[in-house]
Amino acid sequence: MKLIDASRLDDLAKALAGAGYRVVVPAEDGELVRYAEWTSQATIRTDAFPVNSVKDFLLPRSEVIDRYELQGDDFVPMDVTPEAPKTVLLAVRPCDAAALALLDTIFNWDFEDELYNARRAAATVVPMVCTEADEQCFCTSVGGAPDSTENADAMLRPADGGTRFILDPLTDKGEALVEAAGTALTDGEAEPDPRAEVPVRFDPERVRAWLEENFESDLWDLMSLACLGCGACAYACPTCHCFDIQDESTRSEVVRLRNWDSCGFGLFTRHAGGHNPRPDQAARWRNRVMHKFAYIPERFSMIGCTGCGRCARVCPAGMAMLDACVRIAQESKKAPVYES
Amino acid sequence: MDLEKMRQDAAALLEGGRATLVVGFRERAGECVPAFVTAAEGTAVLTYDESCMANPAAYLRKTEVRRRTPVALVARPEVMRSLILLKAEHQVSDEEVLVLGVGDDTYHGVLTLAETEQLLNEQYPDPSPDEATLAEIERIQALPPEERARFWSEQLAKCTRCYACRAACPMCYCERCIVERNVPQWISTAAREHGNYAWNVIRAFHLAGRCTECGACEAACPQGIPLMLLNSLMAREVRDTYGEKPGYDAEAQPVIGSWNKEDDDDFIR
Repeated sequence: MKLIDASRLDDLAKALAGAGYRVVVPAEDGELVRYAEWTSQATIRTDAFPVNSVKDFLLPRSEVIDRYELQGDDFVPMDVTPEAPKTVLLAVRPCDAAALALLDTIFNWDFEDELYNARRAAATVVPMVCTEADEQCFCTSVGGAPDSTENADAMLRPADGGTRFILDPLTDKGEALVEAAGTALTDGEAEPDPRAEVPVRFDPERVRAWLEENFESDLWDLMSLACLGCGACAYACPTCHCFDIQDESTRSEVVRLRNWDSCGFGLFTRHAGGHNPRPDQAARWRNRVMHKFAYIPERFSMIGCTGCGRCARVCPAGMAMLDACVRIAQESKKAPVYES
Repeated sequence: MDLEKMRQDAAALLEGGRATLVVGFRERAGECVPAFVTAAEGTAVLTYDESCMANPAAYLRKTEVRRRTPVALVARPEVMRSLILLKAEHQVSDEEVLVLGVGDDTYHGVLTLAETEQLLNEQYPDPSPDEATLAEIERIQALPPEERARFWSEQLAKCTRCYACRAACPMCYCERCIVERNVPQWISTAAREHGNYAWNVIRAFHLAGRCTECGACEAACPQGIPLMLLNSLMAREVRDTYGEKPGYDAEAQPVIGSWNKEDDDDFIR
């Protein structure tokens, strides 16, 4: 079995960077930990939950999708080559890796998104088994697990009381990574640490059943009173993928940009004529819950939420998808929708 | 602080119909988050301590909250100042809001906006910006321009344009913010350097003379951008240049937006 000391993850990152990978790791940034490209100055932190998700590296906050250059009197379309460096997402959370299933589906649904696909194809995913969870974690309620290998090319398993990691290749990409790591990994035996305990908090089927019958409910207004209408939850979410198209120009160039967008914003559904079919946060928050627990399950037979809990950790207003789901599941029990 | 008295007052307000909603704070997994209480029996969750950084006055711009006026807000001095400022800017009236005042480890009871203004002037006559923030402003102002620019480039590069800062701020009540004015698009909405600079600097300017230094925006920022360095710097400039301290006088004219012939005009050459 391939091993590395917990204190020597840096060496693994260095070896992989040396082998031509862009190495994305959870790194310290002031008081926060965020997924960032590894540099020799980085401090890798596997003990705290990163503030961003790995989607940042597959669907950037803002990217150029079209470009035109002024040549003489004409704007001439230029080739836009996807920036898709060979990347390893190292020591990421299983709930982040799980989210890739939905992103892969969305970006190949009615249109094959070559920019996303190029980056996805160039990515090797190496989740780390969670040995600790906090109050916002609920992966086990949405079909995940703290040691889920979903979408993993290799797994990092904390072992021997957190003193080392087992690197367990699962796919060809994973094998290639082990090869590239070279002597940063050693052969030996180690005892994997137990995975984190993440209690099941609700049944997503019950949530879905209630949602399908309760587009109109007073509960939306009550549940969303705290929502201030920012995009913090959507931008931290590993599965949220909505974007806005913007054209920006200088004297010599026009670029078409794809920027993240959020259904929490009032402008998201505002029509040119001024009408807004989602006039308040109750309607916008309902959409957020519906999208993840009703629309996506209906279209793709998967849940649009991986239970990472990041939305609750970043929300300045104390909103939490977990609280909403627990509440809805309770309502669902109170009045079983199947009985009518 | 007599939290039990605060809970009793909140319950009495709801029971007597003097308020239909109380916006305060509750504890969730060791953190202080906003609480919304609509019935007397729900007031038991209410709590308060110095870690409660959200500014409940920000909720007054929500239609769902406005539908429930009169609203009672748990307010520390900076939040009280936000309310007086909102009144001065004709965004809220005495009939719509009551205050459950907290500050200096004291619960001040139920206050009208007029009583809140009086309490502020009598007991909290001086804004008390965070000392650590002021020290950091001094440090950054003393840096050579290139280093200062590098500092801000690094900080603002983190901005995802989630607008949590705007959402958390009671003074950001524009129905259509400049960043949403898109015919034409005034400010780039891309989370890239020039748009991020434009957004964060414009927000700081729009808050000049209006920021009560409550710190809710900085606390709200998921990326940990030290926004109060900008806002407290602007607040300091307004204090030093105009001798103004916003949020103490509900009749006051805004610093930007009012004119006085005694104003310093040395800058016109």
